[in-house]
Amino acid sequence: MSLDTDRQGAPEELRLDGILKAYLGVQALKGVSLSVKRGSIHALAGQNGAGKSTLVKIISGAEIPDGGEIYLGGELQKFREPSDAQKAGIHTIYQELSLVPSLSVAENIFLGELPRKGGTVVDWQTMAAEARKALARVGFDLDVRRAVSTFSVAEQQAVELAKALHKDARVLLLDEPTSTLPLPDVARLFTVLRSLAEQGVTLLYISHRMDELYSLCDSVTVLRDGRNAANLSIADSKPTDVVTAMVGKSLEGSIADAALRGERSPRLGAGRGDKVLMSVSDLGEDERVSDVSFDLYEGEVLGISGLIGSGQSELAGLLAGARRKTHGRIRLDDKDVVFHNPRDAIRRGIGLLPQDRKAHGFIPDMGVAGNITLASMPMFSRLSVINRRRENKFALEMVARLGMKVSSIHQPMKTLSGGTQQKGILARWLARSARLLICDEPTRGVDVGAKEDMYELIRDFARAGGTVIISSSEITEAMMCDRVLVMARGKVVAEFDHDSIDPHGHALVSQFA
Amino acid sequence: MSQNTFTAAPPLTELPPTPTPTNRARLASATKRLLPKSYLILVLVAIIIIGYYVSEDFLTIRNAENVIAAASIVAVLAVGQFFVILTGGIDLSVGSTMAMSTVIIALTLQTGMNAGASAAFTLACCAFAGLINGALVVWLRIPPFIATLAMMSAIKGFSYIIQSTSLIQIFDKNFITAFSSGSALFVQNPVLIFVIVAVVAALVAKFTTFGRSLYAIGGNPEAARLSGLPVARNVLITYTVSGLLAGLAGLIAAAQLQQGSSLIGVGYELDAIAAVVVGGASLMGGRGDPISAVIGVFVLATIINIMNLVGISSEPQLLIKGAVIIIAVFLSSAGGVQRITNFFGSRFGRGTASARV
Repeated sequence: MSLDTDRQGAPEELRLDGILKAYLGVQALKGVSLSVKRGSIHALAGQNGAGKSTLVKIISGAEIPDGGEIYLGGELQKFREPSDAQKAGIHTIYQELSLVPSLSVAENIFLGELPRKGGTVVDWQTMAAEARKALARVGFDLDVRRAVSTFSVAEQQAVELAKALHKDARVLLLDEPTSTLPLPDVARLFTVLRSLAEQGVTLLYISHRMDELYSLCDSVTVLRDGRNAANLSIADSKPTDVVTAMVGKSLEGSIADAALRGERSPRLGAGRGDKVLMSVSDLGEDERVSDVSFDLYEGEVLGISGLIGSGQSELAGLLAGARRKTHGRIRLDDKDVVFHNPRDAIRRGIGLLPQDRKAHGFIPDMGVAGNITLASMPMFSRLSVINRRRENKFALEMVARLGMKVSSIHQPMKTLSGGTQQKGILARWLARSARLLICDEPTRGVDVGAKEDMYELIRDFARAGGTVIISSSEITEAMMCDRVLVMARGKVVAEFDHDSIDPHGHALVSQFA
Repeated sequence: MSQNTFTAAPPLTELPPTPTPTNRARLASATKRLLPKSYLILVLVAIIIIGYYVSEDFLTIRNAENVIAAASIVAVLAVGQFFVILTGGIDLSVGSTMAMSTVIIALTLQTGMNAGASAAFTLACCAFAGLINGALVVWLRIPPFIATLAMMSAIKGFSYIIQSTSLIQIFDKNFITAFSSGSALFVQNPVLIFVIVAVVAALVAKFTTFGRSLYAIGGNPEAARLSGLPVARNVLITYTVSGLLAGLAGLIAAAQLQQGSSLIGVGYELDAIAAVVVGGASLMGGRGDPISAVIGVFVLATIINIMNLVGISSEPQLLIKGAVIIIAVFLSSAGGVQRITNFFGSRFGRGTASARV
């Protein structure tokens, strides 16, 4: 734990006082206050809908608060738009990076202020040298003339950091920077962040992951329901304190609790049946997935694990008909099946929870009810005419059953939190009475409380006789499955039974890479 | 850790189990849904009031009939266009299809075929042209703008070729009565036609699985596909319907002008698109409704009519029409009202001292 005594006496860099913000009559922030010392790493934690993202938007100037004050280095700030915040030295690095993929690294770092020679011609040499310098501060050495799109996610993130530093960032807001990073890169990112803090940059770190908070940060502010739920020093608190503050009640006995204490993972499945539901042999799609064979038993929860980009997500897509196989075959109920499109798979009782919710999961402007019944409209209609009353009644039941946080079943889906959106997509397949649920990274971008809910819902589904495939790059998640297939470079490299995995999942991880 | 522990664990949400919407929330959401449409009607009323003051001839039955007769053609086109735009597409070929419709109906009537059969044959041809549009978009994956631009040219060329003379007169009384001069219940037939088309379209859009799937396809095509909706089939249908309605608009035009000519309908596709957009639909797809599109037609038609009455020549009319489209779209779909409110709110007080940080 890194409570640096020097920082105790450091001056206050960022201070928020009683921030208020309402959207469409919903009070998202009810007076949030925050104080961060210069050169410290401060975490911001909270469930979906707690107000984290609203707060981030306000600090970065993307939203204007209804009340309250922001001080930077003791000076009162008034941000009208993101550029105001950036001029003041507050830079935000979002989950979706904001680089221009086709431009070079150097051009991205200098975007909007290319250095010029004689007032007209771009000074490429100075630019390249400065860009290399900025990258060196974050410990990377890249060919700055190459296009950003040719680099890995971790390298692109480094470019984004370098860009912020180049613009003299005093405060860096990092919104779940590790959510798309492979494990080894996470450690490297943390080293960079620590060294930035030592150089006097103040970091506000937003994450759902307790292990990250406790290995990186100095202090944490927990938000709940638009208010401060706790301000804790990392050195003097435990992960369970943070989680308890987040959910507002004791976690004892929950899955998250077990995971936090490093205990043997609880099982999501109720154990497999005897009947083979799906039998896959030599399945493949070009180089992305090859030679995958396995039997899936009825009632089983099968995990497909591996580092991001190992092919588990593509395999999930193949099994759900979202992608086309190039070789191999799939047998369902002892019959050969070919999925030309998702429709074919859905007709046979297969439902997919896609990894990228925003791009693939839901209709943003459509209401919650419409999104829930999207795959089962014929059930709610006669002669193609939708029975709205029946649809609304069903949607209300689903909202209650899955504990979705919505103000109305007609609320546009895009306005909901990630966890609630994910539940909405799950509800779509429950409405369709799917018997095989394929979940691709089901809890990505979902906070602890909603994550717990998701696991609970998957358990319920399996207990009721449903079969589940979970494709996940999170080890704790894979360890909850009845059986885990580990993938690397598009192939299945190992298979583990739930009971044969050690409590820390080392056996699993050793097969990664 | 036994499994029973988990069954006992309550779901970690703090909301009451059944979040039934409160009356206030229901009212708020109803207002929000109705607002775009009521705003459009207000604009239309404002334009009518202006018309009343600037021209004595404006609020007369004769003039109203003129406006509606002219608007009914574009209104029918706009409804078809709306469905295409709802899916995130665009149909530039409707003006040409409309011209083709007038040529085909004139030719078939010339052969002595009866009016009903001729009309049915013409509509089938136009629907087929729409189907080709859809096939180009769905199967050949040609972007809608390009596919229908090419079809706009191809259909026009086809009409020229089959027309062979400069224009073909229509003498069939039954046909002219049915699509232009006739009336039922004191309502002119063209008006009746577009009202029926608009109402059916509104019902389809709002209450059917087909309509719902179009909103889904336009809102997020990939999510629609992954939910098992027949995306390709439904997109194909919307282009076919757009072709069919362009054919219907062509029948009205042919009956009103009593002739068929490939020169009819030039620029009508743009009028239809403008009306749909003025009606609050997004060219990205997934938003809007057919009635608003029809109101959009009347907003534009009324403005043109007033300008005609006060004697503004056609060149400045085009200029003003362009400006009106931009203002209307800014206000209705680009969030203009919100931005103007914010602008004035931030300039001139109204509790902003504490609202600004």
